[in-house]
Amino acid sequence: MRRYLRLLALFARTELQFALEYRVNLLLEIGQMLIVVVTSVGAVLILYAYTQAMNGWTLEQMIVLLGVYYIVQGVEELVLQPSFERFMEHVREGTLDFILLKPISSQFMVSFRHFQTVQTLQVLVGVAITVYGVARLAAVVTPATALAFAVTLVCGFVLIYALLLVLSTFAFWFVRVDNLLAIFWAFIDAGRFPIDIYPGWLRVTMSTVVPVGIAVTVPAKAIVGLVDAPTLAAVVAATVIAWVVSRAFWKIGVRSYTGASA
Amino acid sequence: MIGVYRALAVQQIQIMLQYRVATFLYALFSFVRPIIFLAAWLSVAASQGGRLGSFQRSDLAAYYALSILVTHLTTSFDFFEFEWEVRQGRLSPKLLRPLHPLHYAIVNNVLWKVVTAAMVIPVAVLVALTFGARFHVGPIDIVLGTVSVVLGAALSFVFGWVVASAAFWTTRVQALVHFYQRTAFIFAGQIAPLALLPGPLSAIAYALPFGYMLGVPTDILRGAHDVTTSLLLIAAQAVWLLVAAVLYRIVWNAGLREYSAVGA
Amino acid sequence: MTELVVDVHDLTKVYRVHERSEGLSATLRSVVRRSFREITAVSGISFGVEAGEVVGFLGPNGAGKTTTLKMLSGLLYPTSGEARVIGHVPWRREDGFLRGIALLMGNRTQLVWDIAAADSLRVLQEIYGLPEERYRSTLRELTELLDLGPLLGKPVRNLSLGERMKVEFAAGLIHSPRVAFLDEPTLGLDVSMQSRIRGFVAEHNRRSGTTILLTSHYMDDIVALCKRVIVIHHGHLLYDGPLGELAQRMAPYKVITVTLHDGAGSAFLDELGTVVSREQGVVVLRVPRESVAERTARIVRDLEGSLADISVEDPAIEDVIDRVFAGAAVPPRS
Repeated sequence: MRRYLRLLALFARTELQFALEYRVNLLLEIGQMLIVVVTSVGAVLILYAYTQAMNGWTLEQMIVLLGVYYIVQGVEELVLQPSFERFMEHVREGTLDFILLKPISSQFMVSFRHFQTVQTLQVLVGVAITVYGVARLAAVVTPATALAFAVTLVCGFVLIYALLLVLSTFAFWFVRVDNLLAIFWAFIDAGRFPIDIYPGWLRVTMSTVVPVGIAVTVPAKAIVGLVDAPTLAAVVAATVIAWVVSRAFWKIGVRSYTGASA
Repeated sequence: MIGVYRALAVQQIQIMLQYRVATFLYALFSFVRPIIFLAAWLSVAASQGGRLGSFQRSDLAAYYALSILVTHLTTSFDFFEFEWEVRQGRLSPKLLRPLHPLHYAIVNNVLWKVVTAAMVIPVAVLVALTFGARFHVGPIDIVLGTVSVVLGAALSFVFGWVVASAAFWTTRVQALVHFYQRTAFIFAGQIAPLALLPGPLSAIAYALPFGYMLGVPTDILRGAHDVTTSLLLIAAQAVWLLVAAVLYRIVWNAGLREYSAVGA
Repeated sequence: MTELVVDVHDLTKVYRVHERSEGLSATLRSVVRRSFREITAVSGISFGVEAGEVVGFLGPNGAGKTTTLKMLSGLLYPTSGEARVIGHVPWRREDGFLRGIALLMGNRTQLVWDIAAADSLRVLQEIYGLPEERYRSTLRELTELLDLGPLLGKPVRNLSLGERMKVEFAAGLIHSPRVAFLDEPTLGLDVSMQSRIRGFVAEHNRRSGTTILLTSHYMDDIVALCKRVIVIHHGHLLYDGPLGELAQRMAPYKVITVTLHDGAGSAFLDELGTVVSREQGVVVLRVPRESVAERTARIVRDLEGSLADISVEDPAIEDVIDRVFAGAAVPPRS
């Protein structure tokens, strides 16, 4: 376990060095990210210029939700997206062999090898927005709701990770699966609003097929105590199942790649 | 000229057939965002008794259903390919041919929109039906709206190329495009119909070119304006198109000088 | 008898390939009922390699060399047969096995493109859990042998192909594997870089005693490095033995070179063997091995006056190999 953490730090550090060498790019990317955040917050403010609450979501709750959205999307773009994209390249070019020959979990190497370190900023911005929102909601936040928030946030990460792992694993059979991931990116955009504002079919899609709805909406609800114990239990259970299934699927993929089950 | 276009079209269709999945996937981005913001506005309207200013729920649905179509017809997407061409030196052979590189892009643009409309139109219809859109459209609105959509597409296309031409000077077109697209996100009519932008934002939107690429054609097409207003807005589109065209000529010519000076 | 580092028995790999026919209807049909074709890439090969040996794998493209290396390195499951590499069954990919082997491929890189090679090496140190001291001394040795000094700090994408290959070797050998599988390590390199890499492999083998299994298109690699070669063709093992005896065993002929003072009697040579070339009074003949003595005697006797020089040689390794792979030579099964 400690070796894995040390490796993770090493991966991040080397890529940070790389990013720091291209300062202009770095500054431009930081600028772009700030523009995205400002415009997205702007979009929310424009909507709330007409109302006090959307589907029961107050502006403060909405700010928390937006913060969580940036945390989730930030983590995903920080490490999962660059790593899985590189993994597909490895499959296309046959360099995955090198990873399979390392005395270390190949799933770990594939999932967390590459970082877009600049996205750390997106995560930090997300944290800042969340903290600001929570501070304004201070009256209703209790240790219990804070715990529920933390638990559901972790579940959200795992759910999204599991989905991305499954989608990427398809690369073992179909060489071009970038397209599957493109669908995911298109949908993740919808996570910026609470899933309960969407019509039924989209809500179902966003809580099952593309779990970004759960990953963002549920923690934002949990912090104000709007997630009851059974829902919490269900989310945790779904997360465990998703983790087990995705891991099993990855192993099947590797076995098929090495001809063990052809 | 028609012969040239036909030849280019045949070539482009073959390329699209080869990448058919990707071809249709990019069309996803035409409708995901309008649906998101339609849902958001409907829930805002619901909290206000179903009415926001001049908009009823059915008007919001009509606006966003149509904006799916208009977004699709007025996108421009040549930035990154052009940057790639410049950087890889692929532009040079194109410049040697007796045909302005813009023509390839026009064929590409129009063809992609026509082909993928097969996917986008059903989605727009579905959204209109499920969200209960109501249109107050006369024949004159359709005629003016069509003109406005064509102008909007041309405006977006030419402006896109002004931005893309930055590739002559910098390898960081991406940052510029991003800034351009995020400004459009606020002011083009994506996050809100132009009339719903609060305070001075609405006036700013009408002063900038972005609204004329999406919000204005959508409004005209759904019959939101009387004929005089529509004609005025179309005139404004024409003026912006002219400005964009002049800008493009200046930037392109200066860029070519830069390009040949560097000797790529 | 020392313990075998690589021990292979009856190793076989059969690929099932999805057959695709052209045309839309055929494609649609194949979705419902897939037809498979079986391709035997490696067919019942057996051999053993002792510690410290350098063994060359020879064979044309598609002979089964890479498939064999992939099975021995644990990347592919065989269809049948057994193999043990440093005491492990490779395809179980046990920790102890993975720490003891290395695979290098000339046309693929394990280095991360955008970051400095030194950083990639650090990551490998962490992955293999190499103690700092050992890591440094191995790296120092590799740096010296490969002249890596100026290369390690540069991003990999700024290295030339040859430089990258040197770093690739460092990355592959940083954990001091007991066995290294080298698949076309000199592919695409210029002649001088090829010979530098060869020199390195030989020196590394001499110093550390690493067992090396090598495939290469370049005969020079094999000649320079391998005392022993294994020839594979269509998945079958055709020859396994010393490089020096390859020609003798695989080519049932020798080459007689006759130099004549004038053109006289050169027509007579056509009856004695297959004339390979004939220019400016030098005639090269291919003669069946068993009749070499008798034919040479006849040439000396009958051409007496016009004969300036005569030599008898084994054919060049390249020619032997070419003829084997073209199906011209009959492999003697021992």
